[in-house]
Amino acid sequence: MFNRGLLAFENFLFKQRAFVIAVFILLTLVLGFFASQLKMDAAFIKNIPLNHSYMQTYLKHQKQFGGANNIMVAIEDSRGDIFNETFFDTLKQIHDQLFFIPGVNRAQVQSIFSPSTRFTEVVEDGFAGGPVIPADFTTTEAGLTVVRNNIDKAGIVGRLIAEDYSAAMVKAQLLDFDPQTGEPLDTLKFAKQLEQQLRQQFENEHIKVHIIGFAKMAGDIADGAKGVLLFFVIAIAITAIMVYLFSKSILLTALPLACSLIAVIWQLGLLTVVGFGLDPMSILVPFLVFAIGVSHGVQMINAVRKKVISGLTTYQAASAACLSLLVPGGVALLSDTVGFMTLLTIDIGIIRELAISASLGVAVIIFTNLILLPLLLSYCNLSFSVNTAAEDKVNKRWYRLSLFATPKCAVIILVLSALIYGFGLQQSANMKIGDLQGGAPALHHDSRYNIDTFYIADNFSITTDVISIIVEAFPEACTYHHVLSKIDDMEWQLANVAGVTSTASLASVAKRVNAGFNEGNPKWTVLPKNTASLVQAVGRVPTTSGLLNNDCSVMPIYLFLTDHKAETIETVVAEVKRLATVMNDEQLKFKLASGPVGVMAATNEAVAKAQVPMMLYVYGAVFLLCLVSFRSLKATIAVILPLYIVSTLAQALMTYLNIGLAVSTLPVIALGVGIGVDYGIYILSTMVMKLRQGQGVQQAYYEALVERGSAVILTGLTLAIGVSTWFFSALKFQMDMGILLTFMFLVNMLAAIIILPAIATFLWRKS
Amino acid sequence: MLKKCFFSLFGLLYVSFISPSYSANDQRLQIQPLAETSLLTDIVATPSSMITVGQHGHVLRYDYPSSQWRQVETPTKSLLTKVFFIDEMKGWAVGHDATILHTADGGLTWKMQMFAPELEKPFLDVLFFDAQHGVAVGAYGLFYRTIDGGQHWSEEFHQELLFEEDIAYLAELKTENEQLYLSEREALLPHFNRIERIDEQHLMVVGELGLIAISADQGHLFSAVDSPYEGSFFNILNTGNALYVMGLRGHLFKTVWPDMQWLQISTPSQTSINAALAQPDSITTVGNGGVIMNVTKADVATIESQQLGQDIVALAIDKLGDIWVVGSKGVQQLK
Repeated sequence: MFNRGLLAFENFLFKQRAFVIAVFILLTLVLGFFASQLKMDAAFIKNIPLNHSYMQTYLKHQKQFGGANNIMVAIEDSRGDIFNETFFDTLKQIHDQLFFIPGVNRAQVQSIFSPSTRFTEVVEDGFAGGPVIPADFTTTEAGLTVVRNNIDKAGIVGRLIAEDYSAAMVKAQLLDFDPQTGEPLDTLKFAKQLEQQLRQQFENEHIKVHIIGFAKMAGDIADGAKGVLLFFVIAIAITAIMVYLFSKSILLTALPLACSLIAVIWQLGLLTVVGFGLDPMSILVPFLVFAIGVSHGVQMINAVRKKVISGLTTYQAASAACLSLLVPGGVALLSDTVGFMTLLTIDIGIIRELAISASLGVAVIIFTNLILLPLLLSYCNLSFSVNTAAEDKVNKRWYRLSLFATPKCAVIILVLSALIYGFGLQQSANMKIGDLQGGAPALHHDSRYNIDTFYIADNFSITTDVISIIVEAFPEACTYHHVLSKIDDMEWQLANVAGVTSTASLASVAKRVNAGFNEGNPKWTVLPKNTASLVQAVGRVPTTSGLLNNDCSVMPIYLFLTDHKAETIETVVAEVKRLATVMNDEQLKFKLASGPVGVMAATNEAVAKAQVPMMLYVYGAVFLLCLVSFRSLKATIAVILPLYIVSTLAQALMTYLNIGLAVSTLPVIALGVGIGVDYGIYILSTMVMKLRQGQGVQQAYYEALVERGSAVILTGLTLAIGVSTWFFSALKFQMDMGILLTFMFLVNMLAAIIILPAIATFLWRKS
Repeated sequence: MLKKCFFSLFGLLYVSFISPSYSANDQRLQIQPLAETSLLTDIVATPSSMITVGQHGHVLRYDYPSSQWRQVETPTKSLLTKVFFIDEMKGWAVGHDATILHTADGGLTWKMQMFAPELEKPFLDVLFFDAQHGVAVGAYGLFYRTIDGGQHWSEEFHQELLFEEDIAYLAELKTENEQLYLSEREALLPHFNRIERIDEQHLMVVGELGLIAISADQGHLFSAVDSPYEGSFFNILNTGNALYVMGLRGHLFKTVWPDMQWLQISTPSQTSINAALAQPDSITTVGNGGVIMNVTKADVATIESQQLGQDIVALAIDKLGDIWVVGSKGVQQLK
């Protein structure tokens, strides 16, 4: 029934081939137009697991306390001292410039030039104070001395001024929407403005401008991602050479490459149609689509070639090849698609986008390389000179390989595989979650962005590695001693956790204000017991400090961490959770989390939680598809077992190379399994047929190798080459993905021709 | 019956497992790595050790053999402000919530002698004349005395240090409304920041509003002396040859007991001077803003060093002759 339908469909395609090809051309033109409209897109919100409980807290209070999306601009005077006229002029201009860039939350721009930066000092009759930069400030020596003294009194050294007075900081928070247009903030445009209007305009031999923050990082990543175009060209060139060596025909090289490029165009066009942009992370998808397309194209030309040699006309051969590959090729591509779709279960926008764009891309290959390619081939007039001697040589080699399917070899292979697997399993247990290096993990350690990050961390006592614990209480809670006292307790306990460098909260600030009210006597650094004094102390802390909301029912505790390595985050989060369970009561709740590290903590947890289900789904899907297409449990096991060994080894490799399981590396396993299954399916589809005809395992495997072997090996190499160009990416995460995918593609291929036949020998040994 | 048994059993379990583990937990939480680098307010050297006290009831003890500070447990979380040892073993620490702690083993273990948060006043200094007799003073004229080594502490009110109009006002109030009288007198006296012996017979107390007062009877009765300054004094230093008082905005005065003619020493710093230490030929002062000054016998004050970003509250000299300072960033040895 199914076969008859398939035959009719194939018949229709080839009868109407001119019409079908015309439809393909038309679609390519339309989608090509859409693809040309594609934009780079890197919204902050896409990178976070929105439904995670930390992120619910984060979103709930984001408006009041700002979120994790901030920008720090450190302006350094390379002569080592900021107190000179040119520096102050530059600082003022940068402050103003940043203030006016659309998307900056103007209420929260902070530097010594913002009016909210004030100093207070204790005098005999109480407090005296004023803005750090007085209204009548001039950049004279006297004026600068006044400012220098005010800076000391304001206690902003380390925050807005570098510890050694060699740099000053301008901080800003970003809105999610552009207030002028109401559209979501274009992060990349914003990053470009930072680069052009701040760094390029003001940096000179004495002034250095260091910029960090999510928007800048996204901008740098997008810039790095542009280098990908070159890698794409290189990948195409190498692939073309490989395919030419295999096919020894320019036409047979050009056609599968062209069809694969059409698949890429469709995929990119469809992205625009469904309303996505191209994210620096999902930029890998075109590579995958191209490589997978080529590998299926190679299977197709291989099949046509074999049929032509056996005496069919090119038209007949194309038609027969299409018929014979539509099912195994379709199943393989479908399992790729399903493999990618399983990524949809992960609650992080960027991974879902990757899932959708990769699924779309692989699905279109079914049309371009399993239908369009044979149709185009059918117009050709192919003839092959058969070099029997060479053929024999190759077949001899296949024969030697087929020894893998003899019981003696099989035992050795299986024992060795088991040993390697055992080692891999042990290593993979040590795989870490999250980012293992300091700085922005997406970028290389020596990138400008990371150098800037390390500069700011070294010269200021603040970092972007902040996690805030949100304390939810009741209106006017900060006027009650027991409330602030509890926050103070919590803050002190957390300050002592390894990995926390400093902390801030309304409680600790109010204590210092109280000492200020008591003539600056440190012996009064306490929370006053009576409400009147407490209100007095708290009243001096403005809501713009980010330490309390308008009715002080919400008061965050900020924890500044040494770094954002996974272990650091885990330690801190675990301690917060432990303390919160002890200290939470009806009135007071300590909730995780906000701040950049809060987001990372949620992401790490979401990634860790997603890992096992994702593996279950992707293996479940592959299992079902194999079962359906082979209608044999044995065949299914023979395909899946090598895959499983390889994905365990990939995890071991991650441990070995210090690559953490993160948003960028989580999808790799699913992609690797989804694509890696192709090899097994191609080899076993022939093997199973031969086995059912009553042949022995070794003979069946030999025939499968003769028919598909060179195509499978070529496929593995093509895929590996496509992603291995990423080793040279400016982006660390692309490098990581490149390494892991190359490993997955190559080793899966090896496993399919070495371990698979050994398992088959074992499973079919009775017959 | 069975139900009742079950509940009492459950109650027993609850009591024996849950609550002790929680309180034990709470105790353990006091010992924290940052105690050594967080706010400490006083330091004393005894012949065998040094003791420093500070926020969250922290007490740290210096161990000479290992050259390390070790935090010891105390039964309080209140900010401690002062520590005093009468001999190598016996000492007292006082602080906020009218807390008085006592040690009889050189600072290894501490017992609570007084804790009265309802007073809403801190003790700021403690002084013992012998192992039995001592006084503790603090904010708003807080004054407690013991005659049994701190087993019992009783309040004294030093009306003689009030302004005259306040004395009249209080006397009037006392006849009309006892309750109001008591609550009113709570806040009329200035803070007693420091109490110190100036010779065998005499005590001096300094404090808010330029308070300097002398007592000849172990603090039962004080008499204010004319003050050279209207701001607060935080500390007294008795070098034997001279008497210094120091306080707000870099103010430092010197006199010779019992002459009591004050000489103002002009200092190059405008921040509070919190404490001072006698050296052979000079004194060393410490204060807010991390200012450390040297004042010669000829009354020339110079800034010796400045520990930016911190307030230094007290200092002591150890048995090896090294100076240690404590303050908002903990304890450190002065190089």
